Amino acid sequence: MRSFGYTIADSPAEAVRIAASTPGSAFVAGGTELLNLMRDGAQAHDHLIDVNHLDLGGIAAGPGRLRLGASARMRQVAEHATVRREFPVLSEALLASASPQIRNMASIGGNLLQRTRCGYFRDAGSPCDKRTPGSGCPAIAGHNRGHAILGGGDRCIATHPSDLAVALTALDATVHLLGPEGARAVPIAEFYLLPGATPERETAMRPGELITWVDVPRTTLAGRSRYLKLRDRATFEFAVVSVAAALRMRGRVVRDVRLAFGGVGTRPWRDAGVEAALRGRPLTRQAIAEAGRLLVRDAAPREGNRFKVELVQRALASILDDLGGLR
Amino acid sequence: MSGLVGQDVARVDGRAKVTGAARYAADQEVPGALHGFLVMSTIARGEVLEIDARAALAHPGVVAVYTHRDMPRLRVPDFPYNRPFIPMQDARVHHSGQPVAYVVAQTLEQAQEAANLVRVRYRAEDPVARMADVLDQAFLPEKFRDRNNEDGRGDAAAALEQAEVRIDRTYASPMQHHNPIEPHTTTAVWEEDGTLTLYESAQGVVFTRGMVTQAFAGTDRPPANVRVVSPYLGGGFGAKGPTYPHTLLTAAAARLAGRPVKLVLSRAQMYTSNGHRAEYRHHLRLGATRQGRLTAIDATSTAQVTRLDGRIYNSSDSTLHLYSCPNVHVRQLGVRLDLPTSSYMRSPETTSHFGLETALDELSHELGIDPVELRIRNHTEVVQATEANGRTERPYGGKHLLECYRAAAEAFGWARRDPRPGRTRDGDEYVGWGMATETHTYGHIPSEARLTIGLDGRATLRTATQEIGTGTYTVLGQVAADELGLPIGHVTTLLGDTAYPAASISAGSSTVPSVVGPVSEAAKNARAAVIALAVADPRSPLHGVPAGEVVAEGGRLFARGDRDRTDTYRDVVARHGSPVEVTGRRPNTAGHTFGAVFLEVRIQPRLGRLRVTRVVTAHDLGRVLNRRTARGQVIGGVTWGIGFALMEHTMVDPGTARVVNPNLSTYLVPVCADTPSVEALFVDRPISDSQALGARGFGETPGTGVPAAIGNAIFHATGRRLREVPFTQDKLL
Repeated sequence: MRSFGYTIADSPAEAVRIAASTPGSAFVAGGTELLNLMRDGAQAHDHLIDVNHLDLGGIAAGPGRLRLGASARMRQVAEHATVRREFPVLSEALLASASPQIRNMASIGGNLLQRTRCGYFRDAGSPCDKRTPGSGCPAIAGHNRGHAILGGGDRCIATHPSDLAVALTALDATVHLLGPEGARAVPIAEFYLLPGATPERETAMRPGELITWVDVPRTTLAGRSRYLKLRDRATFEFAVVSVAAALRMRGRVVRDVRLAFGGVGTRPWRDAGVEAALRGRPLTRQAIAEAGRLLVRDAAPREGNRFKVELVQRALASILDDLGGLR
Repeated sequence: MSGLVGQDVARVDGRAKVTGAARYAADQEVPGALHGFLVMSTIARGEVLEIDARAALAHPGVVAVYTHRDMPRLRVPDFPYNRPFIPMQDARVHHSGQPVAYVVAQTLEQAQEAANLVRVRYRAEDPVARMADVLDQAFLPEKFRDRNNEDGRGDAAAALEQAEVRIDRTYASPMQHHNPIEPHTTTAVWEEDGTLTLYESAQGVVFTRGMVTQAFAGTDRPPANVRVVSPYLGGGFGAKGPTYPHTLLTAAAARLAGRPVKLVLSRAQMYTSNGHRAEYRHHLRLGATRQGRLTAIDATSTAQVTRLDGRIYNSSDSTLHLYSCPNVHVRQLGVRLDLPTSSYMRSPETTSHFGLETALDELSHELGIDPVELRIRNHTEVVQATEANGRTERPYGGKHLLECYRAAAEAFGWARRDPRPGRTRDGDEYVGWGMATETHTYGHIPSEARLTIGLDGRATLRTATQEIGTGTYTVLGQVAADELGLPIGHVTTLLGDTAYPAASISAGSSTVPSVVGPVSEAAKNARAAVIALAVADPRSPLHGVPAGEVVAEGGRLFARGDRDRTDTYRDVVARHGSPVEVTGRRPNTAGHTFGAVFLEVRIQPRLGRLRVTRVVTAHDLGRVLNRRTARGQVIGGVTWGIGFALMEHTMVDPGTARVVNPNLSTYLVPVCADTPSVEALFVDRPISDSQALGARGFGETPGTGVPAAIGNAIFHATGRRLREVPFTQDKLL
């Protein structure tokens, strides 16, 4: 690991100012992700700007929205009474993430900016178009059990690992940023990018921008939400497939539904067509099956992840059954 | 005897371990030690053309960057060095992650960063990394450690031909890594008197000393003496049994630098530096009568080996010996890959045993005979073996496997099992019950122990075996305390230092069978020596009592018939004026240990979610020396078995031959939530052919049946037979 400079920023504005004037710098909060990436040689920074002391740790339930400060810890959000009551999918997604020790340290902003768990990306000795553009993607013909069946291309098929991002995607959250050119808000649906020809670019963030908070609309729908995470061991593991779902019924008819998927896409995956296929119709096994088929219509599975085509449809059916009271 | 042996005795080193007071190898503070870090090859096959160390040498704190041009020429025998070559002796690269340069710096961070700055230019050749691509090139390797890779008895081919019922299946398991929590470490100190001292994470300090001594014997300045120190080990599981290159390279670097050097492997480096369980395919054909008597076993296994060697570490002992079968043919083939050499990994025989115990379950289903009953019908009380002097049949010194089946089946409630697959439901879950026999061989290494009774009447036991986390300090302390008639708190046990009498490596379940006898002997001799002093000393109340009439209890000596005539260890030795020091040896023999595992799985069929919800084991380990540490072995073994069955899998990229998941984030091992509580039963009966107070070697037996038992339970739950681990969710959809 390379030596690096370190500054503690006192305010978001100062943090952004330092970042703008320090090439190769990065913000650090809990450090549970960034330091590992630096140790593994997957990422290198000459300077770290500590953002733990900015006034961004709050969790506030205001009229119409829940505001999560970027340096709130995963555990604080997961255990927050309003979050548990009105946004169960957020709490469940966070509690299904990492370990208690990591949840005590890791921040909301950092969680959203996790890098993929793709082994090729994290091994500095392997080619990887995301880490070293132009070097190629060995996952496509190699080990790709953990990789995406949706949204990939010939440069990258890595998944985004954050459970929280999947839940926030289902709830139409907005990511607030502060940068050298001022503050702006990005809907989460536009926050994560498809790899396309530039897999090294994962988010819509511009150089020097800092996540300040995340807003989540406070809706009745969010109160009827759940997170289902399937993985290769019981805890402390990333999703093979996950589903964040919110469902509001009127009798047997779906009044509104939000769905987002983890483990299957190169970004937290939302498909408006799938939701539209369910909305306004009776929630039947058949309707759910049709929605599932729609979800995977453009899937491009590989040898190691072919099963996800089937598994994600079953996961969708399972969570909708639960939320819709089909069993 | 005061009766500590056989009890549930808490670990004497438990407090030291949980408080951090226990000093592991890398905790040794050696004044002036530099830090080493390895530069590993990024290609898997080819040669180093050029190493540019200028940037590394310019980095602050860097003392040296050594390459194959600098290293002394080392020579090693075939075993227990585990590689067919020594790295950094020439420019050749045999696998990815092979040391090509050795950086030495003032701090660990400086050494690590400088290692990143070393530029290596290679001439690369295409590696062969995937066994499936070259299975047609499988060959029968030469014998390894005096064991042939083809073995058997009778005529399996003919018996198969004539069999009333046949099973013909192939089973497979992937490459797996040991992943001890303590990384491998060596601190090498060339002392002024010519001694080379190594603070080493070693399962066998004596083995390591022998290997290092030989490696440097041909150099221009061989060490006058090699001392290896390893007082505690943070898990080894075979990964720290043989001696590995980093140990030799660190000793060489320390000599070149003229300063002590400390090396700690990174987690990622541990995936190419210390062996692994070989990828393995197992083609099994069973022949049987309709009544379920085995008439033939034909087993052909294929394991990964390297271009330079053909060592097979996963023997087929259970296929050869566990069941009564007149016709057995075993062939262990190898396939050459450009990967590191594999090695022993707890428990080596699990690899082949998984196939055997699954095939038996398939046979039981085919025949409609209960799996336990099938095993009982093929039970044998004698070892059927082909040995150097021909075929032999010798009895085990007591084999209470039938009792294990009975006890575990009863505790589990096996009699209530509906044998039909897929018929047991609970809510939306399928419930499956499966079982398997557990067995493993254990070794024996001639060992010696030295016992000293000090002027304070307390005992110090010294023997150069190791504590690898299994409870050696405690068990040996119990044995010595009982034999001496001292409280266990008055016995200090010192292990893991070649300054002590040579003793067994802690591998192959050998520690108890090898060392308990010598410790018991030493303690017996010490007691006899102190009693002899007492009865000969006119100042002792025991003066004149026949030595055979003196008993020792609770630190005191009594005349058997007259307990008022009493003396103490402390007074006797204090009057004598100098400590009493004796040694003990007691040869033993290797053998087999047996047991059974019964377990329950629950499967949510829609999502393929599987949980192991209940485990009952029963083992015959001869006499149980410490119920708590024995139970610890069962819990550990079952947990390993769950990992083997459900998740462990080292992934190697087919193109680059690099390990894709060299960390504990992506190489999955079970967490507590994957592991149910285990009911561990013991048939606690001394065996006649053990010189270790009736105990057998036990460490590696528990868990050997677990992967098959889980697969068998999955079949029972769902009717789906899985033959390739890990049994991941996608296979259960």
